[in-house]
Amino acid sequence: MSTLELRGLAARYGKKPVLHGLDVSVAEGEFFVLLGPSGAGKTTTLKCVAGLVDRTEGAVVIGGRDMAGVEPYERNVAMAFESYALYPQKTVADNLASPLRSGRLGTWTEAERAARIDAVTTTLGIDHLRERLPKELSNGQRQRTALGRVLVRPADVYLLDEPLSHLDAKLRATMRAELRRLGEFSRTTTVYVTHDYQEALALGDRIGVLRGGRLVQVGTPAELWDAPHDTFVARSLGQPEMNLLPARADGGVAITGGGLAVGVDTDVSGPVELGVRPRDLTVTAGQTHPGGFRIRGRVELAERLGRSVELSVRTEGVGPGDTLIAVTDDPDVREGTSVTLSTEHTRVHVFAGGGRAPGPEGDGRAGHAHRVGNARPRTDSEGEQR
Amino acid sequence: MATRERRPGSRRFSPAAAGADLLLVLWFAFSLFPILWMILLSLKTQAEQTSTYFRFTPTLENYTTVLSSEGERITSVDFTGALFTSLVTSLGAVALSLAIGVPAAYAAGRWAYRGSGDVMFTILSFRFAPELMVIVPLFIIYNQLGLFDTAFGTIWVLQLVTLPLIVWILRSYFQDLPEELEQAALLDGYTRTRAFLTVALPLVRPGIAASALLAFIFAWNNYVFPLILTGSENPTVTVAVTRFLGGGGQAYYNLTAAAALLAALPPLLVALSIQRYLVHGLSFGAVKS
Amino acid sequence: MTRTDTPQRPPAGEGSVRRISARRRAFRPYLLSIPAVLLIAGILYPFGLGVYYTFLNYSAMVPEPVLVGLANYAVVLSDPVFWESVRVTLTYAVTTTVVETVLGAGIALLLFRASLVGRLLERLLILPLMIAPVIAGVIWGLMYNPQFGVLNHMFGLGSTFDWLSEDRALWSVVLVDVWIFTPFVAVLVLAGIRSLPREPFEASAVDGAGALYMFRRLMLPMMWPYILVAVIFRFMDSLKIFDHVYVLTAGGPGGATRTLQIGAYQNSMTNLNFSLGSTYMFLLWIIVFITARYLVGVLGKAQRRAAGTED
Repeated sequence: MSTLELRGLAARYGKKPVLHGLDVSVAEGEFFVLLGPSGAGKTTTLKCVAGLVDRTEGAVVIGGRDMAGVEPYERNVAMAFESYALYPQKTVADNLASPLRSGRLGTWTEAERAARIDAVTTTLGIDHLRERLPKELSNGQRQRTALGRVLVRPADVYLLDEPLSHLDAKLRATMRAELRRLGEFSRTTTVYVTHDYQEALALGDRIGVLRGGRLVQVGTPAELWDAPHDTFVARSLGQPEMNLLPARADGGVAITGGGLAVGVDTDVSGPVELGVRPRDLTVTAGQTHPGGFRIRGRVELAERLGRSVELSVRTEGVGPGDTLIAVTDDPDVREGTSVTLSTEHTRVHVFAGGGRAPGPEGDGRAGHAHRVGNARPRTDSEGEQR
Repeated sequence: MATRERRPGSRRFSPAAAGADLLLVLWFAFSLFPILWMILLSLKTQAEQTSTYFRFTPTLENYTTVLSSEGERITSVDFTGALFTSLVTSLGAVALSLAIGVPAAYAAGRWAYRGSGDVMFTILSFRFAPELMVIVPLFIIYNQLGLFDTAFGTIWVLQLVTLPLIVWILRSYFQDLPEELEQAALLDGYTRTRAFLTVALPLVRPGIAASALLAFIFAWNNYVFPLILTGSENPTVTVAVTRFLGGGGQAYYNLTAAAALLAALPPLLVALSIQRYLVHGLSFGAVKS
Repeated sequence: MTRTDTPQRPPAGEGSVRRISARRRAFRPYLLSIPAVLLIAGILYPFGLGVYYTFLNYSAMVPEPVLVGLANYAVVLSDPVFWESVRVTLTYAVTTTVVETVLGAGIALLLFRASLVGRLLERLLILPLMIAPVIAGVIWGLMYNPQFGVLNHMFGLGSTFDWLSEDRALWSVVLVDVWIFTPFVAVLVLAGIRSLPREPFEASAVDGAGALYMFRRLMLPMMWPYILVAVIFRFMDSLKIFDHVYVLTAGGPGGATRTLQIGAYQNSMTNLNFSLGSTYMFLLWIIVFITARYLVGVLGKAQRRAAGTED
């Protein structure tokens, strides 16, 4: 177990630059999650740490030692590959025995090896598959075997590349819940790569959000949730994604195209975006008394997703033709209903700069507005909606 | 066209199906007749070889003659020795090609380093180059170096046949092998050499076997190199067979047939054993089956 | 899930980390290729020497050869015998390639039906291909024999019909080539057809497309790359044909089957005029090289188009 530091890490994949200077420091025993869309450079980051991909600039430092020029087999790093990378000619047990047999990770007697493999396969629920070949396993079983090949050995750093992605939804939820309880992860510095924000929020001591080869924000799950650095991070977390309302700020007031106005910091001016998570919006049928952040609208589409209903609401206060997404548990809200969406001002994030609304996911070049704070009620108390 | 439905074993009679089968039988009659004819001819006595076509008393005498000193007296070539020379040179050529070709194929298949394309295409061009362009100068060089009519000389020049085959087939095998398998081995604590030996090599073993055996066939069957670069000491079996044609100023068709069959047997047996991999090899990895 | 405890052991060799520079690592593939490159050099050297010979007057009669410039090329290119060899070679290569491609593709389609007969015979398909061409030549030479050969007997041609006469010899050696190499085309195309995806055929069958339409619009374009691979191999090999032709006719009678490689052999090894023989070979090499470049270009285009069809 060791610390892990990336200092200005840059790398290429083939001729294409993939990472543009990552700086992050992972503490001893920390569980660090790298979250990002596909193509953001998550796997490349792991392979740079492992020494499988050469960095072009910067440094990987493990346990205070610069890893420049150190071969992968001398870094004492374990990795679970997204492709599993199980040896097809070896059984599950032999796959797990491979790191213990290399002689580079300590010497193990036959009995010690067997005990170790026994413990890990039991933990992962694959003990009945020990004599199977990888081709005789389901994808979920392969993934657990790949995870087992990591857990079976001591390492300074564990690198896990989407280790739950091929499990079915139920198993993934179970594994996610159990993963953190494993003793190995509480003691070993771990970098965990995923594109699933729920995994990131549930597992990470801290999360680094990666976009286009750059770390956009690093922080605890709570920090990322409450104060996302920009609209990209904000929309990466939560499903349905955060609503963004274009507005213009001037003199401490931001006004949307439809005339909705909220108070903002006085030093913010120009185009801004107001962000509200769908689940933060309270849906009330008809009109309600004034107070708080309120928008009126009409339900255009109501998708029933089990207990809750996801609504597309054509609003009157946002701008011409704009719809907001909201979620309600009220089964009576259906298409055509007039509703009021309301929330606390403190739940409304204000983003400024960066220009237009974010483009498609993973587009690192598109402008993403930076968070400048939360909205507040207007001080002139004239009512929010004109 | 039976493209829509492929029903192996469908026995329903239709005139089109019967016609198709008839065409196939016609081709195979044409294709197999010369071989059957040779077998018959090789079983005839010296007297019967010109007097009968299909009715005779079969004898294995021709085979013993070809393999004995009697055969050597007729052709002045030791046929048994030629069989041995062919075995040594073919195996030697394959072994040398494997020793050189496996690392080169791995390098080209795994890294596509700068210049790897040039190396690969130069090797491939050997396959298509007219052999005499190289043999004529080699004939002179070999005579100067004392390599003429030696097994080593033949092994060396047979690289033109065996190396392109082995390198190109194995490169496609290495390319199909996921790089992450070896990366996993590196992280398990194995050096690159050990990762190659314990992970990559065992997985391409079928490719190595298939390409080596196919290369063996083509090395064995080669004629033009030993024709020019060997003499009476170390001729290969292909050269030795042709000696029976005009041997001793007399017609020994039955002996020729026996010698031809003996020479053809090893490659045929090898070919039938690797039929599954044959297409991939014959097309240098261009067609996979 | 239960808690498992990892025994924490220090990795072997802690503290003494070996570092390998990126440059040394980048050099690794070259290192692995060194033996191959050396061997290539060993082959290219005689090749270069052969090219050098074409500018000499090197023969057994001239112990001290001197540079003669392009004289050999002038001699060869103005020699009707050479041009006759070019004609024979091209006739041979084009005929064998066309016949073998058509026959081989046909046999592949017939075998693809996988009838009982087809499945029984398929294993025997490659037998002629695995026999050394020179031995095939020996076998056919015995069958072609006017007096005792089985062909004249079976077809009742008497003992005067000569398969290897001046006007028939070329077609008779073509027939042997067809016998040997048609299976090559067949196995390649058969493997190609079997690897075709079935979805397009099923989709167009659902659309009600006829069998002929499916063959022309779907199967043929997708098969085309495989056919082209076979054509390339066959045509390039036919251009330098030697083995069975040499053993059957030695280029005769009267040059009727004197292909370029046989011409080069006669010049170099029979007349021991190495310069003239090498000039033949170098000119053949140029023909082969240009043809290869052209055919590989065609193949690349066909493969891209077939891939487009598959989308």
